[in-house]
Amino acid sequence: MAGGSRKPRSAGPVPPSITLVLDNGANTIKAGFVKRNSASSNSDNDASTPAPRIIPNCIARDRHKKIYVGSEFDKCKDFGDLALRRPVEKGFIVNWEAQKEIWDREFFDDKAPQKCNPSETRLVLAEQPNSLPALQVHCDQMVFEEFGFASYYRGIGPAFNAYQDIQAIFQTPKTPETTVDIPAEVMLLVDSGYSHTTVTPIIQGRPLHPAIRRLNVGGKFMTNYLTRLISVRYFDMRNDPYVVNEMKEAACYASLDFNGDLEKSWKGTQGERREDYINGAGIAMDYVLPDSHTRFHGIVQEYDPARLSRTRKGGVSAEDILTLRNERFVVPEILFNPSDIGMRQPGLADIIMQSLSVLPIGIWPGLLANIVVVGGNSLIPNFIQRLQTEILKRVPDACIVRVACPADPIASTWIGAANFARHEHVERLAVTKQEYEEHGAAWVARKFAAGLRVDS
Amino acid sequence: MNNFGVIEVAGAKKTNAPGWAYVPDTGPAPGSSALQPANRKRAARNQAALSSSDLSARQDAKIRKELDALDRDGSKDANIPVPPKPGRAQNKHTPNVRKILQSQKTFANHLDDYRALLALAETNPAAAAALNAAHLKPGAAFAPTPPAAAAAKNSPAPTPPPPTQAPTSTTSKRSAAAAKRAAAAAAREAKEAAAREAAAAEAAAAEAAKAAEAEQLDTAKDKDDDVEMTDAPGEASTTETAQTTTDGSTTTTSAAPAPGDVEPPPPPPPQAYPPDGTILPAYRRAPPAAHPGDGDPLLMSHVPYFPTDDELRALMTAPPLSYLDARAAVEDDDGDGYDASSGQPTYPTRHFCEVCGYWGRVCCTKCGSRVCALQCLTTHREECFTRYGV
Repeated sequence: MAGGSRKPRSAGPVPPSITLVLDNGANTIKAGFVKRNSASSNSDNDASTPAPRIIPNCIARDRHKKIYVGSEFDKCKDFGDLALRRPVEKGFIVNWEAQKEIWDREFFDDKAPQKCNPSETRLVLAEQPNSLPALQVHCDQMVFEEFGFASYYRGIGPAFNAYQDIQAIFQTPKTPETTVDIPAEVMLLVDSGYSHTTVTPIIQGRPLHPAIRRLNVGGKFMTNYLTRLISVRYFDMRNDPYVVNEMKEAACYASLDFNGDLEKSWKGTQGERREDYINGAGIAMDYVLPDSHTRFHGIVQEYDPARLSRTRKGGVSAEDILTLRNERFVVPEILFNPSDIGMRQPGLADIIMQSLSVLPIGIWPGLLANIVVVGGNSLIPNFIQRLQTEILKRVPDACIVRVACPADPIASTWIGAANFARHEHVERLAVTKQEYEEHGAAWVARKFAAGLRVDS
Repeated sequence: MNNFGVIEVAGAKKTNAPGWAYVPDTGPAPGSSALQPANRKRAARNQAALSSSDLSARQDAKIRKELDALDRDGSKDANIPVPPKPGRAQNKHTPNVRKILQSQKTFANHLDDYRALLALAETNPAAAAALNAAHLKPGAAFAPTPPAAAAAKNSPAPTPPPPTQAPTSTTSKRSAAAAKRAAAAAAREAKEAAAREAAAAEAAAAEAAKAAEAEQLDTAKDKDDDVEMTDAPGEASTTETAQTTTDGSTTTTSAAPAPGDVEPPPPPPPQAYPPDGTILPAYRRAPPAAHPGDGDPLLMSHVPYFPTDDELRALMTAPPLSYLDARAAVEDDDGDGYDASSGQPTYPTRHFCEVCGYWGRVCCTKCGSRVCALQCLTTHREECFTRYGV
């Protein structure tokens, strides 16, 4: 192992030159290797970072009792009646038996697709904020005692997003003398993932812990809600969460005019013929369900008002078609109004205000002008615009509110973590195996919780 | 004994009995009362917080059940065994790893453990500390580190806190809550300071401009000491040292003439840029061009008080909140329609038709569910009758 250009730590060996960067999400693992070379001291070479491999983080069993682990899931064709076991619950690794199996197959087995030798590798692992201490200690113990990584850092995933060119996301006009700040000076990160949505203000790459807030609505919650709506109104899809998830990703959008859209998609009182309802008003949409013989993925179609009368006249439709109406925008609406389904939590914009309220007003303008949304839910159409209008309603009108979403919101945390792995900060934070063996798990947990010193 | 007809019904007196005792009921713990009652065990206790709503108990239970179902992963409990893979050497696990791998605990179990530990720490700090030490568990990770951080403020070396530092009896929950309160207090103070400054801004601006000139030398001297900052020449104009007011709040008005700016902006300066700190550097570029309307009292806006380095440092080194504290909750305790922490209005709950999803304008007389109109009510009745009977 050739040492890099960085000066080695005074105690201990030269840090490993290969880093495995893992964003171990509840739905997918984002994984990739980062090599530290001598040219990376100015770690703004985003372009050279290859995209991470995205691995489904589950053990799946289809209706023929065949079991798929991790990336084998790509071979699965028939998603009907699929059962999934996920090692990550609420964003935290809980079931290490399953997680170890997936990691073994992806990284450590002889024929693993991303083979690595832990004893010569550093691990940078992203975790969700506000984890339970017991789970953090479990994670550290597994990394060192079972896998035996040479060096390791477990950091808060949202904070890693600061290690990329934030102003490029906002398309801030640049002058030649503009320098890229890595980590970004001030930003507010909204991470809306599979299990929940978190709001994290970040200054100079350090999360402001007292202001981190969580909304317990994530992609899974919305999929389950859509499942319930469809099961009540059309037919029972409670055993097909995967199919419903595809439908959600294809058809749902965040409404910019909720009342208006709801009005347009109402069928009216008994005997009433509402024009908007009959012709769909641009909201109704047909979704052709997979039949598990020829089609394994659903198809979105334009709403065809004549279809219903055709099938009624006797032409039997060979395919199961759902007409989605208000389901399309009611489902993402629970991110903004969780009280609609009886949850006692404020909406996303209110949570951002709650987070800001514990911070001095002087840094509000900086945070509000740099709101970055990452995570799979930011791919919902109109999500960014909706969030921006909701925040604009709540802040002083002298504040500029900019909300943006990076080009690849799902891999954004990973890209930031990869840049972090090349940044000199990682040398100050990572813990070596020797240090773990000498000081123990509690010391490591404290060191990670303390984070970067501010004055250094 | 003659008590003049007064009969004592109940008192604050404790009755000791083997195995159990009456204790004064001080209500639910403040941390958990705002929580979604995700836990059946505490459902009865949390009812108190919910009683303010107009929902009947039955509807409440229904909503809770539905939310639980929505939060579940997948429809049924998938119990898929890990498939055995031949050819992999079964290496020996360390005791810790074996314990972790064999643990079948779910997140809910871990959360219950954590709650139990917090409760134990509140009633019996010594036992909790011992448990912490024995299991290398919670509090340790959340042990307040700020003192160490403050002490080592100027040492650039990333020396972590000493490992022998025993977790104090302060529980993680309490310290986290304290951090939350402290931060809120700081924010309130900041708001007040901003308000004060708004009043004093105009008067202070002229003085500050003069003071800035006087302090140019000081600032330059400070800059020499400050190795972090590499300023362009001619930009040493920000008044970091303008912390002269008696009440501890800082005047942040800083005249920031651009390099090579021939004509200084009209007094009072329209922009008050944040002072140059070591954490967040000041705005480096030229301010926007002066406008004749800048001095207009109706158009003038002021930048609120900018936090000092110490405040920012306190925020950045604050310990993480616990999982329970980080959950955002509606905090309209006084019922004035405004959220207690953020000051945002809490709008009344919207109701939707349970059949079609339109506004729920009609209530079913049987079960209280909302529907939109007659057509949906008819549909709902069928289901309602089968569930509850006529």
